[in-house]
Amino acid sequence: MKLKPLISLSAMLLLAFSIMFVVSLRRENIPLWDGAELTVPTIADELFGSGGVTADTAAMATADKPDGNDVETAPIANVRQPMDTTAKTILFIGDSMLDGLQPRMAAYAAHNGHKLYGVRWYSSTTEVWGRSTRLAQFIKQYNPDYVLVCLGSNELFVRDIKSKRQRYLDEILSQIGSLPYIWIGPPNWKDDTGINEMLESTCRKGSFYLSKNDTFQRAKDGAHPTKASAALWCDRVCDWIVNTSYYPIRLDKPIEKYGKSTGTVVLQPNQK
Amino acid sequence: MNFDFLMPTPGVPLMMSSGLFWGLMLVFLPMLAVLQSRRRAMTVFVSVFSLYCAIKGSGVLAMLMLLTAAMDWTAAHAIATSTDVGRRRVMLGASVACSVGLLAYFKYANFALATWHDIVGGNFAPLDIILPVGISFYTFRSISYVVDVYRGKMKPVNSLLDYAFYLTFFPCMVAGPIVRAVDFMPQLYDYRPATASQVWDGLWQFLLGVVKKCVFADYIAQYVNIVYGSPSGYSGFELLVAVLGFSIQIYMDFAGYSDMAIGMGRIMGFDLGVNFNLPYRSLNVTEFWRRWHISLSLWLRDYVYITLGGNRKGRLRQHLNLLATMLVGGIWHGANWNFIVWGAGHGVALCVHKLLLPRLKAVENTRIVTIASGFATFVVVTLLWVFFATPDTATAWSIISGTVSRFDVAYIPVLISRRPLLCLLMTIAMVSHFIPMTYSDRARHMFVNTSWWLRLVVLLVVVQLVLQVSGSDVHPFLYAGF
Repeated sequence: MKLKPLISLSAMLLLAFSIMFVVSLRRENIPLWDGAELTVPTIADELFGSGGVTADTAAMATADKPDGNDVETAPIANVRQPMDTTAKTILFIGDSMLDGLQPRMAAYAAHNGHKLYGVRWYSSTTEVWGRSTRLAQFIKQYNPDYVLVCLGSNELFVRDIKSKRQRYLDEILSQIGSLPYIWIGPPNWKDDTGINEMLESTCRKGSFYLSKNDTFQRAKDGAHPTKASAALWCDRVCDWIVNTSYYPIRLDKPIEKYGKSTGTVVLQPNQK
Repeated sequence: MNFDFLMPTPGVPLMMSSGLFWGLMLVFLPMLAVLQSRRRAMTVFVSVFSLYCAIKGSGVLAMLMLLTAAMDWTAAHAIATSTDVGRRRVMLGASVACSVGLLAYFKYANFALATWHDIVGGNFAPLDIILPVGISFYTFRSISYVVDVYRGKMKPVNSLLDYAFYLTFFPCMVAGPIVRAVDFMPQLYDYRPATASQVWDGLWQFLLGVVKKCVFADYIAQYVNIVYGSPSGYSGFELLVAVLGFSIQIYMDFAGYSDMAIGMGRIMGFDLGVNFNLPYRSLNVTEFWRRWHISLSLWLRDYVYITLGGNRKGRLRQHLNLLATMLVGGIWHGANWNFIVWGAGHGVALCVHKLLLPRLKAVENTRIVTIASGFATFVVVTLLWVFFATPDTATAWSIISGTVSRFDVAYIPVLISRRPLLCLLMTIAMVSHFIPMTYSDRARHMFVNTSWWLRLVVLLVVVQLVLQVSGSDVHPFLYAGF
């Protein structure tokens, strides 16, 4: 019997999907030679998620959630706060580094009953965010009670950075307002010209995570950490948030490696 | 099992290179196979799926596309049935004004407000406007339809459903090509399901597009984005590679998307034409525009340049018309002074070429002249891409000046050794322009006529290549934002 061409194509696609699905169940890249890896697809994770909310964290999330207004308006003291175990709505903004960080952070969020919204603005800088009011718009839209920022990787080499970027950094922090935030510093692949120093001196004490001294396995572009390395980076950041930051929230380590965010917005480099 | 991924995500279009799209194809294609022998059922089914794609990327704003369809369908009928010249003109003007007005609001309202506040010195808070997916492209398609009916090039489409099918046709939704109703509707009226060789040919074209977009464009984009993000931190040679990289990236990105759209159209039994024809082989800027984004170039020629008078009103007017047309092309890409500079630059280059044409024709066509012409054209086009790629003219100038003032040959071996894959992909992309068409035709022919399992292997290899090279997420199409 001769199949209709479209049925034949559909069957081929189904077979290809099935093969990739079976491979994706492995969830870890397949080692080849000299450290090279065959990347496995993430179909299984996409379809079935990678963790989910456990019963106890979900219950706690609904029972203990404070009034969002209290969090937004209450000024936060410049001292370490006690662990806030309530479920959070987290807004995670930044540049392409979120490619690696966000899937792992989503696994943390799902495991601990938080909602995670990501805004990934490719090639963005403190200047790009500071010039725009997008952050304020996203805060209004998602009403987060915790903000994560990963910016600075595209500004490692800006000369005389304080005079050029300080005002934009101040603008970003003013848009965040009194919300608790954590700024994840750039994972330097070269010495910077002062971005980390500027961030450290401007951010509230205990809200800046210095990434430049961490070690990373780089992707082929030489700048971004590999997905696995970014996941480890995220683990270090979460551990630091829980044990050292000024506003610790519940971030127990998830079993699943990656998760799905509640929502993600992707912005192009020259998008206004 | 979580089905949230099927819900609308306004501002994030459903891209044909995404896993979700191909997951949906597993349902769409068998249903199309069943329904395609009944034309009306096929039309309804594909229209509904196209509408879903629009809603997925734009939410309720997708309804604007239906509004435009209904408006222009009605206007075209009124124009065709009226013999009163004045009334016909009014209907045409109203239809074009409505289409352009909607487009202008979504694309240019914030730009206009910002410029106004710059002039009067007030504070400006941008309006929260989400650009409906593909609005530029369906607006152009719709305008071409009404104008073609007005000019008597085609009869109005009888059925609103058929017209909605044309306007919402999902392969062309996000970034074209700008297929005209005069070419598309006869294919729908006389619909014939794709033959086996058309389906495999379409798949080949689609896979070529995936490789261009997801392997070449996305990989090169990683380097370009880093360098363009902070150009002051890079040497002249690194900047030069980024500048060349963007020329290749935008070609691979856009031509890749066009290939996917054309391939998908062919799989469904529709011929969407050719949108790119090796543009970096061009020997002058006029030829470049005959090879680059052909459907847009022809649209601008037929509906802007010729409407303004074309070359029928003297040489000075012809040059002004060329400039105006390219400015429209620049502004169409976005509300940004850099796009205006880019459009004006191309307009000036076209005028200069027209002025020099008599002298250029007198030059003997040797190999050196050919190489020099091609090189000069590429340099002009690439320089103008710098303005296209950057958010403001100051950044563009800093990249161009930095490329010259900080150029140091010592960086050449360093960059090649540290980024071998980038250099390899850029080299392949440029060399591919000069490979004789017979080779690619032969490869296509082999794919179409080979066994089923070999095609499956090719498909899996392409998917694995994409997974290996690109990041963890699908990058947005550059042209999805226009």
